[in-house]
Amino acid sequence: MRDFHIEREQRGAIYLLRLAGAVDMYSYARLDEQVRQLFSQNHHRIILDCQNLDYIGSAGLGSLVGLAKEARVHGGDVRLLRVPERIYKIIELLGFTKVLQVFHDETEALNSFAS
Amino acid sequence: MEPPDGVRIKKSTGKMQIATPGDVSYLGYIRTIVADLARQMGFSESEVAKIEMAVDEACSNVLEHAYAHDKQWLWQHREPEMRLEIRTEDGRLVVEINDHGERFDLDRYQPPPLEDRLEKMASGGYGLHIMRRFMDEVHYSSDPQTGNTLRLVKYLKKS
Repeated sequence: MRDFHIEREQRGAIYLLRLAGAVDMYSYARLDEQVRQLFSQNHHRIILDCQNLDYIGSAGLGSLVGLAKEARVHGGDVRLLRVPERIYKIIELLGFTKVLQVFHDETEALNSFAS
Repeated sequence: MEPPDGVRIKKSTGKMQIATPGDVSYLGYIRTIVADLARQMGFSESEVAKIEMAVDEACSNVLEHAYAHDKQWLWQHREPEMRLEIRTEDGRLVVEINDHGERFDLDRYQPPPLEDRLEKMASGGYGLHIMRRFMDEVHYSSDPQTGNTLRLVKYLKKS
């Protein structure tokens, strides 16, 4: 059980947030705030690298869906990268992969914003 | 795993009772305990993930709704607390989550369909769907003496 933390990198017009630990009712607000801070600076192209994510609950998933919706209004998106299989199976079963774009490769995720 | 400060644990054969303060910082500990017990019982990793998430949603609901600051709890004079009893019996895992907060009859509540929430890209309203989809039984009861109890059951299916 790791503490939740976020590392932020900028790749041109895209922000890559590397997540580690659990996004639950305790921690999701920190992720929400970080992304909204980028929105407020007019950055709406966000990739969340989930490789080191241990868990995500409905508070986190709901937040991601809401953020992606808002980013799309501004021509951007919130996309997921390297979602661990255990988490991917859960979000796929629930239908979240129908509304959130998920990539396995970082270059592919970065290039997805070019098209 | 050592329990965090403020947690009380009681173990007996096939049963574990955990009481934690009513605070979101204890959710990670509860998930770890429940997932470990489900694994020990023989559930596959994909079923463990579902049980872990369903229990997390149930506990999160208690903290967000039953103990909300603007609600009238059953016993306002008591500090918010979550009490879990996890039992293994007859090929099933039973998790009962008890609180003394605001009563909310989950059995009667029918939220809008999950697919509709997703289509609208709603930022909330998924928790109860997750519990119902991932557990075999979800039952809520409320008693003025013993508080509110949500009972989640998962059957160990032989394959």
